[in-house]
Order: sequence, then C-alpha cells, then structure tokens
Amino acid sequence: MSHTLTRSLVGLALLAALAAGCSSSSSPAKPSTPPSHSVTAPAHNSIPQNNGGDHDGDNNGGPSDGDGNL
Amino acid sequence: MSDRRRAIASLPRRVVGTAAVGVLAVAAVIAGVLAASASGTSGSSPARAFGLPAAGSAPAGWHRATLAGGAAVLAYPPVMQLVSSDRGAASAAQLSSSGEYLLYLNATPKQGDESLRNWPQFRLGHLTDDDASSAHELATISGVRFLGGTGTCVKDDYVTKVGAHHFTEIACFVQGRTSASVIVAAAPTASWASLSGLLGRAIAGYVVR
Repeated sequence: MSHTLTRSLVGLALLAALAAGCSSSSSPAKPSTPPSHSVTAPAHNSIPQNNGGDHDGDNNGGPSDGDGNL
Repeated sequence: MSDRRRAIASLPRRVVGTAAVGVLAVAAVIAGVLAASASGTSGSSPARAFGLPAAGSAPAGWHRATLAGGAAVLAYPPVMQLVSSDRGAASAAQLSSSGEYLLYLNATPKQGDESLRNWPQFRLGHLTDDDASSAHELATISGVRFLGGTGTCVKDDYVTKVGAHHFTEIACFVQGRTSASVIVAAAPTASWASLSGLLGRAIAGYVVR
C-alpha cells in the first residue's frame, strides 16, 4: 500500500507539471529564440551576382535588401 | 519492532517527502509559465529582449523616405544618404571613402510569399538564394509593435557571395492595416555592436500603413 500511494503521488505531480508546461502556448508574443540553424547557398542562384542581375548593391557584395525575390 | 512495522512507521515521512518534491516542482513550473506569460503580454518587452527599442517617432533631424503609395516611411539618420534600390523600394546607407557599406537601411513592399508566420525561414532562404554564401539565424521574435502595424523580425548574420563580406542584420516583415513591407537594417558584423543601437532606432521609427 505504501508503494502504491507513493507512486500515485509522484505520478500526480508529474502530470500536473506536464499540464502546466503545455499551457504556455497562449502568449501572443514570443521572446527571442536561441540560435537555431544555419543555411548555406543552394546550387542555383536566383539573381546573378557581379552586376549580372538587377544591379542592386546586394548583388555586388553589399548588404541584402528586403526584396521578395521577384 | 518487526521489519513490517518499521516500514509502516516510516511511510508518512517518505510520502510527505515525495509529495513535497512534487509540489515544489509543479510550483516552479507554474511560476515559470506565469513569468513568461507576463513578459509576452507587452509588445515592447520582447522587442527589448531582442535589442530593439520600443516603437516611436524617429529623432529630430532624421531624414525620411516614403515607399510608393505611402505604404511605409523609412527614417534614417543624417549620417546616411539615399542610395539606389529596387523600383518601389527605398535604401539609405553610409559608405566609407572606399565605398564599403558602414550602415544600411532598406524598406521594400511585400513582393512574394513572405508573411508574419514564415518570415525568419523566408528571409534566411532568400539570403542564400540571392546574395549570401551562408547565413546564420541568431534570434527571431514575433508580435513586435511598429508604428501602424505588427512585425516579425529575424536577427542573422551572413557572408556575401561577392567579396565575402560579413554582415549582421535585423530584418522585419511588418503588416500594417492596408499594406505589408520589409525593413532591413544591416552593418558589418565587426562593427555591429557599436552600430546596432542606431539601426534599432531606425527600425523603431519605421511607420507602416
């Protein structure tokens, strides 16, 4: 009986902790996230570099603009 | 006292001890959830954690560039000047005497499938598809308040295909009431720490409609 009661209390505590953790998804704004992944360039390039494309600075080694790749 | 009786006598302390540990664990989890919820209810708090000041008018003396149709207004400090950009977009930069970019701001109307939800993935994918040989996400944030709208921002660094220049940027997709656009603030990674405050002020002063 003692072991049964102990196991029941531990199980109840774990369930409560799990339920509390799951309830955090309702926040409307997410804080910053830790570093997640890196991306390397694919084999194809949508806009040719070295003045081969739309002559943006970002096709010549400058910072990238906010275009949507159209 | 028999073994059975000793076991029964020790039962309450073991039960109480186990229960106490369980209650403390649950209380700690609940406290953490409440603290996270409290910080997420204010649009400015996550932005500060991301390194952005709260949205507000650009400082006096800053210049302004308006996107076509008045969709957004980009404010930039006097040390920067307008530079060439895509049709319908606006870019401002501070260049060194040798033409290297020291500061860069860009505002562009929404052109593709970018959205508040997919912006971080869209941006990093676009960087490597377009200009960068590699790009690394540093942080993301959603629910950022802008003047006239709400945005999702990603902070990342990347290396350009041409010249292997290393830039750090904050790029935000901002949804206004009637339009959506992107603001990009970038600087060489080596000087990002000293320039990010100025660029963050430009992001905070971005106005959308």
